[in-house]
Amino acid sequence: MFNEMRIFADRERGRFLVPRRAFTDREVFEREYAAIFKRCWLYLGHASELPHPTSFLTRIVARRPILFTRDRDGDYHALLNSCPHRGAVVCRERRGKSPAFMCMYHGWTFGSDGHLMTLPGSAAYGPDFRSDPQKQMTRVPRMERFGDFFFINFSKDGEDLPAYLADSGDYLKLVSEHSESGMVVVGGTQEYAIRGNWKLLAENSFDGYHAKCTHSTYLEYLRNANGALGATALAGEGVDLHRGHAVIEYTAPWGRPIASWVPLWGEEGRAEIDAIYAALERRLGRDRAARLATKNRNMVIFPNLVINDIMAITIRTFYPTAPDHVLVNAWALAPAKESEWLRKYRLFNFTEFLGPGGFATPDDVEAIEKCQAGYATSDEVPFNDISKGMFGDGPPSFDDEMQMRAFWTEWDRRLAASEA
Amino acid sequence: MEKHRLRLDVEELLYTEADLLDQWKLQEWLTLYSDDAHYYVPPTDIPGDDADPNTDLFYICDDRRRMQERVIRLTKPGAHSEWPRSKTRHVVGNVRVAREPNLIRARASFAVWRSKDTTSDVFVGHYLYEIIELDGLMRIRKKTSVLDMEALRPHARISIIL
Repeated sequence: MFNEMRIFADRERGRFLVPRRAFTDREVFEREYAAIFKRCWLYLGHASELPHPTSFLTRIVARRPILFTRDRDGDYHALLNSCPHRGAVVCRERRGKSPAFMCMYHGWTFGSDGHLMTLPGSAAYGPDFRSDPQKQMTRVPRMERFGDFFFINFSKDGEDLPAYLADSGDYLKLVSEHSESGMVVVGGTQEYAIRGNWKLLAENSFDGYHAKCTHSTYLEYLRNANGALGATALAGEGVDLHRGHAVIEYTAPWGRPIASWVPLWGEEGRAEIDAIYAALERRLGRDRAARLATKNRNMVIFPNLVINDIMAITIRTFYPTAPDHVLVNAWALAPAKESEWLRKYRLFNFTEFLGPGGFATPDDVEAIEKCQAGYATSDEVPFNDISKGMFGDGPPSFDDEMQMRAFWTEWDRRLAASEA
Repeated sequence: MEKHRLRLDVEELLYTEADLLDQWKLQEWLTLYSDDAHYYVPPTDIPGDDADPNTDLFYICDDRRRMQERVIRLTKPGAHSEWPRSKTRHVVGNVRVAREPNLIRARASFAVWRSKDTTSDVFVGHYLYEIIELDGLMRIRKKTSVLDMEALRPHARISIIL
């Protein structure tokens, strides 16, 4: 049965096909949860989201409610947010500061590390009840930190995070080097949903090929608003980061709040951007500074972490609730210290393109939802094609489809391994 | 009496705006706004009335120039999300007004339906308006559409103007 769901690659003829039922099949969807979301390292959050000892936040990761905390000593904990007593979600707030969490059902109360502190009527239980390991909130089996990015894994065994990240680690470092003050997640989350398969969003997030067609009105807007600067060519390459991760790195006609000033932001900020770039060169050297500042990067860390360092920096992650429905969360990442002017224009620039109200993301959503609708024909029209660039010489272009082939090869490998 | 009169005038402005949006008369819609106008949609995970577009990530953070560009974009077939155009219906109610020196503040409830293809989605929230009077005409200087929703779900796009 699963053989019908395998990708098909013919390197000699330059054909790479993906079965459309991989986007619609209920069994594939459940197998993805077992073989991918339960086995892969998944993004949990950024250190800046828990700024103080006893800070906490709650989040759904791979359908599971998670409580992410810091204790009084400042150490980080990832707990499954379900009471060991009868199962209720213990912490029901999005975020805040608290050294203890009381379940609303019977009042069992837990510390930041999940240990059971008190329970009403404790005299009615045996003497060792409160310290019984099964009576504590359960930790997520594994949590690791890469810089300020926290990842979790619902399997007790398997590769560690640095091995899993492969070559994407250096790009996570690069996006952390925008400022020597460090990076923070800005207040306000874009939380939305798309009526399409989650893999369509993974593909779309680093698809350089669709920009000119899907986003024609955005590119026209840039030319209109920024004159000659709005005419910088889209050009660059795709890089296979291994283990299913890939990135496109390229020049583009939009402003970047680091070294790429555009007239829309007004003359007042031009000198500030120039000074930031000069400081960047001193800190990182000419080449890395130029790459960091002038090149855009769209990266997908398999299976569902997107870090796009484009007209602003976004962290995006997403989880399917069904083959044709995905929940999306997106945040803005910014230097911890930057001027009020720059923070304002960074956020202004973010919303220009990105997110449900931007000039581009709604059209990506349209593309994803129309693909999903089209897959109703998959009995008769069974395959997608992602062959672009298989015949090219030299490195893949940013608008080839190498990135998707890297993603799907890993998807196929993991599902096939779980079948065996 | 004075206050009732003011509310009627503001309601007339808000109902006109809703009507122009539902008829996709977007260039005309823009004429209701002052030259220094802003249009905002704050995120749903922090208190929307107090959210600051200079420090918080919004869904929409338009100055007058970008409002103009938004309208231009929405007139093109290349704005795929709105081509063919969706049907929309803005229902505005519970209008409250307060006059301040050189400024009228208004609050109102809204429900906006967007229907296209096989889906019909609703946006529920409240408007915060700052209205000024220019040459005897009311002009909107700031509109904030605060969503009274936990997230932008089950849908994904504010491709129409709320």
